[in-house]
Amino acid sequence: MSGEPYSDRVRELFADLAHAGDLVDAAHARVDDQGVRISLAANCDDGVLEDLRFHAWGCPHLLAATESFCGDYEGRPCSDLLEFRAAEVMATLSVPAEKLGRILVLEDAVHSLGQSVLRDLKGKNG
Amino acid sequence: MTAPADIVYLDYAATTPVDARVIDSMSQLFAADGDFGNPSSGHLAGRRSGAHVERATMQLASLLGCSESELVWTSGATESDNLAIAGAARYRADRGRHLITMVTEHKAVTDVFLWLEKQDFDVTWLQPDSSGLVVMDELEAAIRKDTQLVSIMHVNNEIGVIQDVEAIGSVCRRHDVLFHVDAAQSVGKLPLNLASMPIDLLSTTAHKLYGPKGIGALYIADRPGCHVEPLIHGGGQQRALRPGTLAVPLIAGFGHAAEIAGTGMQEDLAHLQALRDRLWEGIRGVGGILRNGSEDKAFPGILNVSVEDVEGESLLLALEPLCVATGSACNSKDREPSGVLRALGRSDDLAQSAIRFSVGRPTTVEEVDLAAELYRRAVERLRALAPRRTA
Repeated sequence: MSGEPYSDRVRELFADLAHAGDLVDAAHARVDDQGVRISLAANCDDGVLEDLRFHAWGCPHLLAATESFCGDYEGRPCSDLLEFRAAEVMATLSVPAEKLGRILVLEDAVHSLGQSVLRDLKGKNG
Repeated sequence: MTAPADIVYLDYAATTPVDARVIDSMSQLFAADGDFGNPSSGHLAGRRSGAHVERATMQLASLLGCSESELVWTSGATESDNLAIAGAARYRADRGRHLITMVTEHKAVTDVFLWLEKQDFDVTWLQPDSSGLVVMDELEAAIRKDTQLVSIMHVNNEIGVIQDVEAIGSVCRRHDVLFHVDAAQSVGKLPLNLASMPIDLLSTTAHKLYGPKGIGALYIADRPGCHVEPLIHGGGQQRALRPGTLAVPLIAGFGHAAEIAGTGMQEDLAHLQALRDRLWEGIRGVGGILRNGSEDKAFPGILNVSVEDVEGESLLLALEPLCVATGSACNSKDREPSGVLRALGRSDDLAQSAIRFSVGRPTTVEEVDLAAELYRRAVERLRALAPRRTA
């Protein structure tokens, strides 16, 4: 029983939230729920996620999970956003089960961002 | 007595390091070449060991201003609270089953009252005013003919507010109601003279005043009607009120810590106040910061603040290597907003952002200045991360 509430990876990500910020002329999504707030922004190029940025208000696990998502999904196809699953990031970061509700808010925000991005792409491609 | 170099410890309300002089005196009482005997034994080794208990009892009685025969050694404040509250309630149950406490008490008190409610006792839970103090009119109005016990802590462990135990005790005496005080945060830190105070039962512990963990004491006033039923049985030690072989090294350590605390109390208080005030000056400029609890009637070692638009758990991590508390240390892993702060009228978000800084004897000006800087930076960083609030 270490009493340590955060994995090393959560601590690393929390200490360096490199993707915190905003993007201009980008697709956006925002979800406020479960006492947390997440705002995501994405720039895409040729169907690929070029830049991801976020603002978030919540616990260290949520901030770390959001940072982890941004780092992992840059360079991937935009359609992958719709495949994001809270369970995967929770396992990767050893997020305790009682935080599931908050990480599901991130999942909702990512899916919402995916829909926004794909809508923009569809609009551009006619 | 300095903290490890990789942490800045400002959580002295949770626990304190053991004073080196106390460790030295305790270390003589463990091994074969020391006074390790059982103080209940009549032989020389037992009597030598017993002398350490007698000395410690005298030291603590001197600090509290009471008679040595009015003290019972326990394992800590939680046990003392249990023995005082459950023990007194059961002892006086034939006279009545109504008890009074506050919602802002430590769990070591509130959980005993919750248990007593299940044993068919009737408990009135008083709300504090917005500064955390008991409302005297409400206390007096709550007392009934069948009321047997009022339990209100001296210094609140979360917000540091100092209750007027003299005034509360006077009300209790007028109505022939026992008054118990959880003084875990105040013994050795604020002057007490129980011989002249209207307090019947008082709980304390060593580890909050630079003594060892695992030892506490209960004061039981030597006056008619003031008694407790024991919670454990087996052996006649301590007049059968709290049987079991006495933990001589811990008791000796508590006694020595009490003596040191009594000797240096005024110096300690001035030190704590200067540091607490300096810390507050260092962070009061942070936008949206609020001080929790009375500023006038506050123990100088504790500063509890909330801040708008910052999530508390992230704030705690962002403050590392600063060791501070959110809510009370005993339940800080539970992320529910503090019940004490909610009772003061703080919103859930403000209660959840609360940080309790508690300075101690070893705290330095440099540590306090670093804490203020870390706090300012952490709040700024987390606010920059947050999305704007929607209208």
